[in-house]
Amino acid sequence: MSFGFIDILQSLIDGILFGSIYALIGLGFTLIFGAMEKLNMAYAASSIGGAYVGLGLATLFSLPLFLVFLIGPIAAGLISILVYLVSFRLIPSTNHLGSLMASIGALFFIDEVIIHETQGSPLTFPELGIFAEAYFMLGDLGFRGDLIFIMIFGLISMGVIIYLLYYTRLGLATRAVSQQNVAARLCGIPIHTINISTFVLAGILGGFAGCMAAASVGVISPLLTIPITIKGLIAAVIGGLGSIRGAIIAGLMIGGVENFFLLVRGVNERDIYVFLLLFVFLVLRPNGLFGNEINRD
Amino acid sequence: MEYYFGILQNIGFHTLLGLSAYLLLLTGQLSMAQVGFFAIGAYASGILTVIYGVNIFLALGVGAIIASFFAFLVGFPALRIKGLMLVIATIAFSEIVRLYFFNLRWLVEKDGVEVGPDGAQGFREIRYFAANGWEPYHIVSFIWIVVILVLFALWWLDRVKAGSVLRAVGEDELAAQSSGINLTVVKVSAMTGGGFIAGIAGGLYAHSTTYVDHNSFTILLATFAVAYPILGGLKNVFGTLFAVIFIQGILIEGLRFLGDYRNLLFGLLIILVMNFYPKGLINIPIFNWSKLVKRRDL
Amino acid sequence: MFSKFKKLKLATLAFATVIAGGAVADTIKIAGWGAKSGPLRSFGVNSEAIIKAAIDRVNENGGVKLADGSMAKMSYDYYDSACNAEQGIAIARKVASETNALIGIGPTCSGVAAASFGVFQKKVGDSSDTGLQMPLLTDTAVRNGLAKISQWTFRNTPNEPDMYDKLFAWIAKTNPDIKTIYGGTETNQGHSAGTYSKVIVQAAIRHGFEWVNGPIDEVSDKIGSGFKNVLSSSSNWLMEDTNFSVQARAFKKSGADLFIVSSHPFTTCGFLKELSRMKGMPKMMVGLTSSSSAEVMKGCPKQAEGMIIPTSFAPITAAAKEVAALAAANGGSADLHSAASWENVMIIKDVIEAVGITGDPSKVKEERAKIRDGLEALETTEGLIGTVTRVQDEGEALKPFVFVHAKNGNWEVLHDPRK
Repeated sequence: MSFGFIDILQSLIDGILFGSIYALIGLGFTLIFGAMEKLNMAYAASSIGGAYVGLGLATLFSLPLFLVFLIGPIAAGLISILVYLVSFRLIPSTNHLGSLMASIGALFFIDEVIIHETQGSPLTFPELGIFAEAYFMLGDLGFRGDLIFIMIFGLISMGVIIYLLYYTRLGLATRAVSQQNVAARLCGIPIHTINISTFVLAGILGGFAGCMAAASVGVISPLLTIPITIKGLIAAVIGGLGSIRGAIIAGLMIGGVENFFLLVRGVNERDIYVFLLLFVFLVLRPNGLFGNEINRD
Repeated sequence: MEYYFGILQNIGFHTLLGLSAYLLLLTGQLSMAQVGFFAIGAYASGILTVIYGVNIFLALGVGAIIASFFAFLVGFPALRIKGLMLVIATIAFSEIVRLYFFNLRWLVEKDGVEVGPDGAQGFREIRYFAANGWEPYHIVSFIWIVVILVLFALWWLDRVKAGSVLRAVGEDELAAQSSGINLTVVKVSAMTGGGFIAGIAGGLYAHSTTYVDHNSFTILLATFAVAYPILGGLKNVFGTLFAVIFIQGILIEGLRFLGDYRNLLFGLLIILVMNFYPKGLINIPIFNWSKLVKRRDL
Repeated sequence: MFSKFKKLKLATLAFATVIAGGAVADTIKIAGWGAKSGPLRSFGVNSEAIIKAAIDRVNENGGVKLADGSMAKMSYDYYDSACNAEQGIAIARKVASETNALIGIGPTCSGVAAASFGVFQKKVGDSSDTGLQMPLLTDTAVRNGLAKISQWTFRNTPNEPDMYDKLFAWIAKTNPDIKTIYGGTETNQGHSAGTYSKVIVQAAIRHGFEWVNGPIDEVSDKIGSGFKNVLSSSSNWLMEDTNFSVQARAFKKSGADLFIVSSHPFTTCGFLKELSRMKGMPKMMVGLTSSSSAEVMKGCPKQAEGMIIPTSFAPITAAAKEVAALAAANGGSADLHSAASWENVMIIKDVIEAVGITGDPSKVKEERAKIRDGLEALETTEGLIGTVTRVQDEGEALKPFVFVHAKNGNWEVLHDPRK
């Protein structure tokens, strides 16, 4: 495959646009880590699971397809509550290993339920309406309309979350719980309610991300879960676990890097470079681009 | 009988894999890299017996040494990264190893057939055992001799100072350091030792199943590797052994008639154990005689 | 503790064996295995559905005739290998040593086949080789060249080199305006990548098509030639990828008349949608055999319109239509992979009757060897859309096939070379 400068630029653009999905998932991971210092490995699975539930209910009750994008996030939020209950509620917060393993167990469980119910075959997922076919040309460069929509959505979510965290009482309580667990309890802040609300928020966000990831491909399949989990996790880590803008920027960056190396080195080696990028960050800058912003003032 | 031998073999290398993760967990490092070392041991020893005609013992040994060399290299950056970050870094390492083998093509013609790893098509015909007349009970005995040796070595570790040193580092690094323990030596040695054990396990696995490809070494297997010691409990090696027997023997094989409900049960099992027996199954009263026969001191 | 579990298990097994031992004399058992869990679950489900339907049909017609002239019923057990090589091998060992199954049908995944064929005895009669000695007749796992791994393994799967060869010959004859080709595949799916780079491209070149930017080094019309270069000259993706923009652009830029898209339904649809979004659809498209399935028609009927695929199964004969209906009635669907299971059951019945079997559990070893010899001796077998020729020295099959193309959301027969 020979390629020129335009191809490189285009692949970066496509990659960065697609990276919006990684950014949203990374945002969810980072939100939960920032608030609870825990990783919820089942996050991407609950997001895709929500999308499945949305699709399933819409098909079952013959609802207009755009409702999938509403039911999906709500379902994802509910699934997240379940995940919280089984992986984090009963396990003492000092037992990091336990919560991590339990959330991995939840990941397997959700994945397997999806595979079981759908027989593992991919299902058509409604596309983002008018955005699906939109393709803008700027000179020689093309921009996918639906991915631009997702990116804008991601930026808006970022804004909404920052607003919630820094300008509302709920956000204040969340940050308090995150920074000083015991003191927060002494002030009468209900820890578990706050944590659940964080999970629900992240879950709804993830549900949107899952729906949009499936919509951008046009097909939903359990194969989506693990790669999105890993890329989203890497986005959260590179951005700095706990940093909201870090997750967004890192997610877009990973999308771009991934596509760039796909062009120049081919699909078989592509992921090696993404992981190497992670390594470089972990060794040289373990706090990521921005460090934990939720947990500090 | 052959079927049961097959299951015993399976339990054998999964136990070794679990023990390699166990050693690292003692020092407080949750490492998802064991599957990477497992892969290195598998391919290295496979290449040695298939392409170079080396005998199995030498091949396994060299494969394990190569794996432990990489483990040694991983041990150093692992010092700087703690907890959850180590999990992610080791996931990345294992994926890089898997992708490397995904791309590896090393074919040589023998007896008119091309043998060796063939990229995405996998590494077929690692037939050392069958071609040299090893009966299934020979293979099983061989694997279990290795497993028992490793079990014994790790059990004995707890009877000498080294065991306490490892666990001290696992419990509280700062306190351990204050007692004069050299963290670097301990953690890197544990990583290297774990890599060696995983390398042997990989070699045994490759020759036992006669076929490996990059799909054999996924993050799922890495999760199994750490799940065994965590579910079994870190009190002693038998926790890991029991967890492997339970998961591989009973859950996967014994409940085969449940079909794909087994996978659901695995996820549920992890959730249940972590919630109710966080220190591992080894601490259930059945196994903990001391709790049952506790005498009250007045 | 451990010994308590083990004792219980052994006792139950002994009990079961005693019970089973008494009832085997008038049932011929076969074993089936394939992926019934995991993302490739549909293959195992389809296979089992058709095996069940076929065995029910045999039993309805009286069963299988034994050596002494009496009739015996057929029965099967289906095992789940989860598309996992370890489990596939464990099942092969279990079936060979713990059951009286005379032959196995399966596996569905090519990776499991490549692994489990290796544990069988390579050459019949080689006493220094302790591999398994039980015949196996595969229905689904289609990766090129697997059956010759062992003399006990046979396949009734389509011969892709032959199908693609005839396909491109026909396209060259009927479409002289199609001259250049370009393509891509899923590199981490053994079947897709192997068939694409070793079979399809070379078949096209053999019939005068040219790779769009000039010939690829070392690639000739010979199967397998220069396959590494084929892959590096193509635009590829991975089985679980979701972003195909770079690849679709490369395809469009190539300007070739004919695109070869060698992948399974998930990525085929993802890729074609991206290509269509960029308005890069070519004059003609050729796909992988495994994509001639309902999944593609459900996922991207519009974008796949016109794609041509050779297949060894289509409901074009009465027998084929019947099997398609029976499959649906048993909870599966018939396609080129699962339909072979029907043929396999019938072949097994015929071979058993031809070589003379008693079904006596104490003679299992000899009877398996007899069935193996019987399979090897077959020159032709009855297929659902025509006669199948056996390639005796390799244990493979040459099946009749048709070319289908995607039209209006269905795979319709485009050309029937059997005539």
